[in-house]
Amino acid sequence: MASVFTVDPRSGVPIYLQLIEQVKRLVAVGALAPGEQLPTVKQLALDLTINPNTVARAYRELERDAVIETSPGRGSFIRADGALDVATKTRDDVAGDAFNEAVRQAKSFGLSRSTVDALFEQTLERWFPKEEAS
Amino acid sequence: MSTISIENLSKSYGQLAALSEFTVNIEKGSVFGLLGPNGAGKTTAFKCMLGLSRPDRGSVLFDGAPLAPGTFERIGYVPERSVLYDWMTITEHLDMQRHAFARYDEGRARELIALFSLDPRKRVRSLSKGMRTALAVIMAFAVDPDILILDEPTSGLDPVNQRAVLKLMIDASAQGKTIIFSSHQIGQVERAAETIAILQDGKLLLSGSVDDLKSGWKIVEGVFESDQFSIDGIQADPDVRRVERTGRILRVSVRSDSDGIARRMGELGARDVRTLDLNLEDIFLGAVEGRSKEQSLDVLR
Repeated sequence: MASVFTVDPRSGVPIYLQLIEQVKRLVAVGALAPGEQLPTVKQLALDLTINPNTVARAYRELERDAVIETSPGRGSFIRADGALDVATKTRDDVAGDAFNEAVRQAKSFGLSRSTVDALFEQTLERWFPKEEAS
Repeated sequence: MSTISIENLSKSYGQLAALSEFTVNIEKGSVFGLLGPNGAGKTTAFKCMLGLSRPDRGSVLFDGAPLAPGTFERIGYVPERSVLYDWMTITEHLDMQRHAFARYDEGRARELIALFSLDPRKRVRSLSKGMRTALAVIMAFAVDPDILILDEPTSGLDPVNQRAVLKLMIDASAQGKTIIFSSHQIGQVERAAETIAILQDGKLLLSGSVDDLKSGWKIVEGVFESDQFSIDGIQADPDVRRVERTGRILRVSVRSDSDGIARRMGELGARDVRTLDLNLEDIFLGAVEGRSKEQSLDVLR
């Protein structure tokens, strides 16, 4: 069975962290809606061919972070209340990390602060064009 | 369901120390992966665990008790070298299991034969290496074991059937069975195992949870202006495992304090400093090559 989740076991990032990150991202972009059910630990472990205790660890931490709730016998669900917070926080984190990496690279290439600033303005203009003056 | 405690297990063949002071704990319901180059002592460890080879020293406890006839009933074993009989059919091999194991599950055996698309009337003589491995796997899983000891359970199998064996292990683990297995394919261990041990020349190089090992080690890579750069204070750092210099690039494997090393590289004039994650293969090679350089290694927790 295909899964909405994917992991890269060969990555240096622990698989449980990849899963946590992915659930949060999917919540952030609205692909996982509040109240939506996650696969069981066993099902997801079999779908992705990964260790079941690794999946269980990811679910435990997601529950601790109030992203999901688990009720015995019913399964794990995206929390209605926490989902919005997570969505906002994940978006900020992901965007912040991307900015940080871009600026770090620019600096290591030897670009000056003003050049980076100009690049930033240019990029900002591409995605958030100002209203044309009439 | 079982916890397996292996303590100071040692075995020599003449002058050759095949296994020295091997100590690990395998938690109930977990999957434990044993890695190591050829001749590292993996098969010796399995044989000593099962009493097929008598250890010189040390103990193996299953739920706190030494191996007893009753323990055998609960163990499914895939040996490295197949112990199949050339002249017997697949059905006849499964009949042996039925007689030997009270919990042999006929329906399960049939499912597994279908899973690997084997013809039960075939004699072992006519089976490929992969099919023989599949038969050994079926014999181990059909006895409804609490403990699975699998010595290279995917050897000779095609990728589809390798994946099928991994899924059988994952399914068994989800049911609370305890599994110890070896494989040369680090990618399989990375998927299926939560805890690993790396053996070389009979000695335990390191053991620990795959996730903790990955989180615990980093590579710091710095690019310098010229290839004449100093590495003062880097090689001597006790957390540094491996230092590779290639032209203007310096790569350092480091435990825990990667930020400190990254800062030091900056001070030494590195222009671009990146911190990279290590995967299990990097960790494995670091451990095996590091030891051959006579560096001391800590067992990670």
